[in-house]
Amino acid sequence: MIEILQQIVNGIAIGGVYVLIALGLTTVFGILGIAHFAHGSVSMFGGYLTFFLVAGQGIPLVIAIPVALTAGVVLGMAIELLAYRPVRKASHINAFIVALGLTMMVEGLNLEFFGHEQVVIPTSFDRVFNIGGVTLPELRLYVILAAALLIAAMTIFVERTKTGQAIRAVAENRDAAILMGVNVRTIPLVVFAMSTALGVAAGIMVGALFAIAPGIGEGLVIKGFAVLILGGLGSIPGAIVGGIVLGITESLAAGFVSSAYKDVIAFLVMIFVLLFRPQGLLGKAS
Amino acid sequence: MLEVRGLRAGYGAIEVLHGIDLDVAEGECVALIGANGAGKTTTLKTICGLLAPKAGTIRLRGREIGGLSGHAIVREGVTMCPEGRQVFPQMSVLKNLRMGAYARSDDGQADDLERMMDMFPILRERAHQAAGTLSGGEQEMLAIARALMARPKLCIFDEPSLGLAPKIVAEVAATLGRIREMGMTILLVEQNSLMALRLADRAYLLEAGEIVLEGTGQELQSHPDVAKAYLGH
Repeated sequence: MIEILQQIVNGIAIGGVYVLIALGLTTVFGILGIAHFAHGSVSMFGGYLTFFLVAGQGIPLVIAIPVALTAGVVLGMAIELLAYRPVRKASHINAFIVALGLTMMVEGLNLEFFGHEQVVIPTSFDRVFNIGGVTLPELRLYVILAAALLIAAMTIFVERTKTGQAIRAVAENRDAAILMGVNVRTIPLVVFAMSTALGVAAGIMVGALFAIAPGIGEGLVIKGFAVLILGGLGSIPGAIVGGIVLGITESLAAGFVSSAYKDVIAFLVMIFVLLFRPQGLLGKAS
Repeated sequence: MLEVRGLRAGYGAIEVLHGIDLDVAEGECVALIGANGAGKTTTLKTICGLLAPKAGTIRLRGREIGGLSGHAIVREGVTMCPEGRQVFPQMSVLKNLRMGAYARSDDGQADDLERMMDMFPILRERAHQAAGTLSGGEQEMLAIARALMARPKLCIFDEPSLGLAPKIVAEVAATLGRIREMGMTILLVEQNSLMALRLADRAYLLEAGEIVLEGTGQELQSHPDVAKAYLGH
């Protein structure tokens, strides 16, 4: 029983990272209808940048994180303007190819700037808490709390602010949103800024919890899309539920079967869910 | 209020409107009638900025709005209640109404929200329901109320009766009548020509991208060509 609880707690931490990745992917998909494959590599860029600031420049983590998030906002807007906007009216295959090219480009830039070494973002959160037999490392606790905070902040932004409602409106009916006076040229910028900042946060978490290395970003974006499909395309609550479910499944599989098979088992669960709910856990049947 | 001169527009190389002149005076209800493919919806889309004009001018209270983007035209005071209702299906009725006031920054929005719910009690009843779960007639009421939430200078209605049951059509007609009594300036496009001509102070008949007839609602109702081709008597 304790072991199960332990794995669930571990799963929530990694699930939180998946949610942050998937939230970015799902809002981009919802509003532009594109699969933003470069998202994982961009997240890794954020992780690398934080590592560079902290380990290379001796800048404290509390300053490095906001700097990396700000860089994420700028990078996200640049990606929208320079990569996706020019193909907005073209067929979807064009955006698809842009996404693939962008992935290679960002991966290449990461390699060029930060090298091919595996890096771990150093933190001073070394304490370990023990709650009724379940061990909870301080770092993991902060990751869970930070992820929860960011998820809540994004949900409130989308549901309670005017700009957030405009994002939803554009996702649901673009022409009607224009008729309400929504500027559909600025909304994608806001979406990419927000999504990329969340992705960078996820990249920092991966870098602190595990490690960053070439190729990790691609694995992460595949997990992100798995969450999207599991939760329901374009659905924000779906991304939250899907991410946590995937994280816990993986963690239980690693703990009770074998960590080598955790991805296999996670994808089997996903296939199983889709057999019964092809629209995803919280997706709308169409 | 609205002054359209020599308007040409279309899709790609195909021109649909071949030079249209059209006026809507302040407080007036003007109907645009015509068969399928005559260019009614194209006219509206061009006025609303969803389609760029190829030639001609569109003036609102003397200001040129032709060629502005859609969201900018809303801010100039033109709101369209689109064909097929186009509510935001997964958003609640309340949030749909709030989206209607998106372009506003004054503090009268809460009062207007109350007024709309007084005018359409069904919307108050269903305030927290997803708009997509409403019936067609209820969605039409929501789309009308959402358009009014923008406090437009000119409110355009595109086929408000399309696809609705006859009883609901009568209800929509009565609602438009009430909005007209409130002094709203209205441009109405309808397949249901009789309903449109009864509501309208003035009307235009559009055929193959050109205005072929113009007159008061009464005049067009009794015009032999209109009666024969569009009113079915």
